[in-house]
Amino acid sequence: MTQSNRIKGGVIDRAKTLSFFFNDQRLDGHAGDTLASALIANGVKLVGRSFKYHRPRGIFSAGSEEPNALVQLRRGTFQEPNTRATVAELFDGLCATSQNHRGPLKYDLLAVNDLFSPFLSAGFYYKTFMWPKAFWEKLYEPIIRSSAGLGRLSGKADPDVYDKGFLHCDVLIIGAGPAGLAAALTAARSGARVILADEDFRLGGRLNAETLEVGGANGADWAAGTVSELSSMENVRLLTRTTVYGAYDHGVYGALERKTDHLSDSGGRPRQVLWRIYSKAAILCAGSTERSIAFGNNDRPGVMMAGSVRAYANRWAATPGKRVAIFTNNDDGWRTATDLASRGIDISAVIDTRDRPPLEAPAGALVAMGSAVADTKGRHGISAVTLTNGQTIDCDCLAVAGGWNPNVHLTCHQRGRPEWREDIAAFVPGNDLPAGMSVAGAANGAMTLSAAFKEGHERAGSIAGDLGFKPSETAPPKAEDEAAEITAFWHVGQSKARAWIDQQNDVTAKDVKLSHKEGYRSVEHLKRYTTLGMATDQGKTANMLGLAVMAECTGKSIPETGTTIFRPPYSPVPIGAFAGRARGKDFRPTRLTPSHQWAEEQGATFVETGQWLRAQWFPQSGETHWRQSVDREALQVRSTVGICDVTTLGKIDIQGRDAAEFLNRAYANGFAKLAVGKTRYGLMLREDGVAMDDGTTARLSETHFVMTTTTANAVGVFRHLEFCRQCLWPGMDVHLISATEQWAQYAVAGPKARDLLRKVIDPEFDISNEAFPFMGCGEITVCGGTPGRLFRISFSGELAYEIAVPTRYGDAMIKALMKAGEEFGAVAYGTEALGVLRIEKGHAAGNELTGQTTAQDLGMGRMVSKKKDSIGNTLSERPDLNREDGLTLVGFVPANRGDELKAGAHFVSKGKAATTENDEGWMTSVAYSPSLGHSIGLGFIKRGHERTGEVVQAADPLRGSNTDVEIVSPHFIDPEGERLRV
Amino acid sequence: MSEATLKARSPLDNFHQDFGNLEIREVTGLALVSIATPLGGETQLEGAMASAYKAELPRVGTSTVSGVDDTRFLGLQPGQMFAMFAHDGDRAVEFVSKKLGENGYYTDQSDSWVFIQLSGTAARTALERICPIDIHADAFPIGAVTRTVMEHLGTIITRTGEDTFVLISARSSAKSFLHAVLTSVNNVQ
Repeated sequence: MTQSNRIKGGVIDRAKTLSFFFNDQRLDGHAGDTLASALIANGVKLVGRSFKYHRPRGIFSAGSEEPNALVQLRRGTFQEPNTRATVAELFDGLCATSQNHRGPLKYDLLAVNDLFSPFLSAGFYYKTFMWPKAFWEKLYEPIIRSSAGLGRLSGKADPDVYDKGFLHCDVLIIGAGPAGLAAALTAARSGARVILADEDFRLGGRLNAETLEVGGANGADWAAGTVSELSSMENVRLLTRTTVYGAYDHGVYGALERKTDHLSDSGGRPRQVLWRIYSKAAILCAGSTERSIAFGNNDRPGVMMAGSVRAYANRWAATPGKRVAIFTNNDDGWRTATDLASRGIDISAVIDTRDRPPLEAPAGALVAMGSAVADTKGRHGISAVTLTNGQTIDCDCLAVAGGWNPNVHLTCHQRGRPEWREDIAAFVPGNDLPAGMSVAGAANGAMTLSAAFKEGHERAGSIAGDLGFKPSETAPPKAEDEAAEITAFWHVGQSKARAWIDQQNDVTAKDVKLSHKEGYRSVEHLKRYTTLGMATDQGKTANMLGLAVMAECTGKSIPETGTTIFRPPYSPVPIGAFAGRARGKDFRPTRLTPSHQWAEEQGATFVETGQWLRAQWFPQSGETHWRQSVDREALQVRSTVGICDVTTLGKIDIQGRDAAEFLNRAYANGFAKLAVGKTRYGLMLREDGVAMDDGTTARLSETHFVMTTTTANAVGVFRHLEFCRQCLWPGMDVHLISATEQWAQYAVAGPKARDLLRKVIDPEFDISNEAFPFMGCGEITVCGGTPGRLFRISFSGELAYEIAVPTRYGDAMIKALMKAGEEFGAVAYGTEALGVLRIEKGHAAGNELTGQTTAQDLGMGRMVSKKKDSIGNTLSERPDLNREDGLTLVGFVPANRGDELKAGAHFVSKGKAATTENDEGWMTSVAYSPSLGHSIGLGFIKRGHERTGEVVQAADPLRGSNTDVEIVSPHFIDPEGERLRV
Repeated sequence: MSEATLKARSPLDNFHQDFGNLEIREVTGLALVSIATPLGGETQLEGAMASAYKAELPRVGTSTVSGVDDTRFLGLQPGQMFAMFAHDGDRAVEFVSKKLGENGYYTDQSDSWVFIQLSGTAARTALERICPIDIHADAFPIGAVTRTVMEHLGTIITRTGEDTFVLISARSSAKSFLHAVLTSVNNVQ
């Protein structure tokens, strides 16, 4: 097909011809075209089918407000549905397909829906398909779902790359039309750091679409020159193809930059970048959007917004019709007539709703003042209009000018409410703008070019001054105030055929009336009931019409009827852009232990614990089940020695003259008298008396402690202590810093632990039981002088130590420990064996410290020292936390030793039904104990301390099991603690 | 007694890559020691700094440099600064405590962090993708330092030259952090 509707002029690059495909038909366009302008240039009128009635639809507008021309772009996994052809920049090889039809676009089988329109009015799905009830899920809903929607996703992972970023500026200017360019020039010349963002790929806004002159020059040329000046300034950043979609707190704006959407191949670079822009001030220069008029069959392909028809002719040299009629209620519509006529396009009529003398009309055009279009004719495109007086006028395009709505969207993002201005028959931004935002130009109701320049210039000058810059003494660009008078006219009441309000959602004037009739009269209800203003265009061309028709119904004025406000995003933002680069394994960072590489080399299986990857177990050849590895590791620890990387435990370095007293207040048990060279187990309570975290704290000197926390609570405990230090006790000399990353720390546990350590710790350090007893700690050197720390603490219940060296030596240290342990048959053990060993010993861990359990529940009630005050001390005395029938942590073994226990099972007394009322507690941790040869568990049960020997049910209805278990001591191994003191 | 001494490893095994307009390099051989000011001891610490280092206490967000040995003091929060200096050993605290005595509380942080230096004209462009802080030359002069978050990872950023920045982030997540930096660089190439 040749470009039959391409005319002269425009700002496209005719030297560069681009081929593209629409529904597999190869067409040509030029660089500078959008998909829409190229389709128009090729005479394509029908581009899609409507959402509900599958009515034929054409291009309606020339911007992001487009309700109709939604297409699928690209192919395969790159396919992107619901893309507006009006903002899709043309590139060579672009593939676009129309949406929402069964069979060919022209002969859509579902067009039959239109015949059933009386049954498909607003809210039909609330009223129909109610009977029989069972049919809804199986029949009605699947049918409706398969018919509904517009485009289709590929169903595969998005292959594109996305990114995010952060920008900063003094002044953010949103929109690079006349007001935006004037504002940018003024702000930039003052020396302020300026970001100028515009959704278009060519900056200039309506200057590119009009024939208005600026300072005696063509407006588009002036825009290009201004952009050139701005781009040469170091303090200016121009963001083309960038939509500022949201205004957030403190001058932060969200913006989507389309980096490679206009290229056939992104080359692996991010397709889009989601920017967070931090601004000191922002000027919204988003212009205005033209609105339609509701009349019969106003959705036919070829019925378009008048300003858009003009834009296609002036900017893209593409005419939507050869014989165009104009339907207007304002002066601006006449400009479409004169502009088109000046380009040789035949104007068949100018129909103006106003009773006033006509403006100057093109020669040969019928002028009908005080008249209106009642209906249109044509099948897949308009062929004629019928006026309210019955007169029929032939045309292949109807340009509708219903007036312009300032783009107030971003002014509403923090609940700002627009205000009605009668003189322009539109809402303008109210006074409650987001902090730091001001509005200039058409977005503020300054609807003429001269006024827009003036506002942009003045706003920017004033803001630059406020920010401490010296505005230049220049005047705003010179332009005329074009005719812009309007008399509001919304709806042709004489139309018998359906009059579309919202073309994207197939909402008609009749639907709005129905909404009123059924009591959904507030604008918010109207929106939800009819779906007016939803979907990709967010009702940019429709909302005002719907509101006006509702006002007609209620007999109220438009401001009395109210308006909906807007929330982000201004136009659709792909979910992929929000995800950015955070996909797959890059979703979040991974923390690796110092022995990670070594563990990988040993073939370890890893488990995520928070952000950490920890070795879970170390399979050896011949082991086919994880339990074999874990049993071996646990048994070896009990019989000889094992080594486990425990670096992930939080380590907090605490120093200061008041450090001991600080700990005394933070821990429930006493720490003031902990001797230098000693370690103590500590339990920390929350203010409400519930257990928060536990760990050991070592005293390295009078003023220096090292606290360990659980891996999971490392950050939380640090934060809590900082709060205590800064807010509760600011008069204390205490200083905290995390040392978790500083030390590679290994647990060396088992009867041979000391023997092994003697081989790595330098001989001048005596680690005999007498010199370095249980709970001792000290600074040492290892392997010939490397500094280290040694703690004699045990999680496993065996003779055990934790040895720490600076992390840089972590890799070498695990190798040194394993080598030193060879003669003892030392094993590396992972988190599973660690868990088995601690359950056998009866130590509480995260499963027991749930944030709901108390020291009393944990069997550590007596640890809460009453000789001092500490956080949580008082509230731990609340009666309900100290009930006689309170929970107690005890051990459980299966009555039938061969049974397997499951964590999460609930305890019910024998003979009672497994119901919530009979629930007496739950199993927190279970393991297979290789030492005992059967399953064991820890759990909380009411009055557990006095029920040793009782058999209860461990009911697990979710997994369909119920096991008899015997209550035993939680210390399955070495209850007297003899092993760890040898 | 062990047969062999322990061999130190840097978090990224001395990573280095040159992109032409940007060079990414793991900085090794640096010591980092946190210095906490004893409550009420600011004047004494200030005096010790002046005499031992010929340096002022840095205000939060700025750094000062020793007139004696190029040690850079990073002002990170009220009552806490980091001393950053060339030192390849594992006794960094001793160096500082010898000079400042009991006028501060010292904690070795040398092994807690990875140091990644970005230098070149594309440094700011690349950092725009992960750094929420305004690092424009006017807003973040040479010597400026601040804590921030990059790709969910706590990061200290300091500007050490016209187009040179050092990013300091947790050692355990050094590989993820490097990946974040390299992704940023690749995304703007």
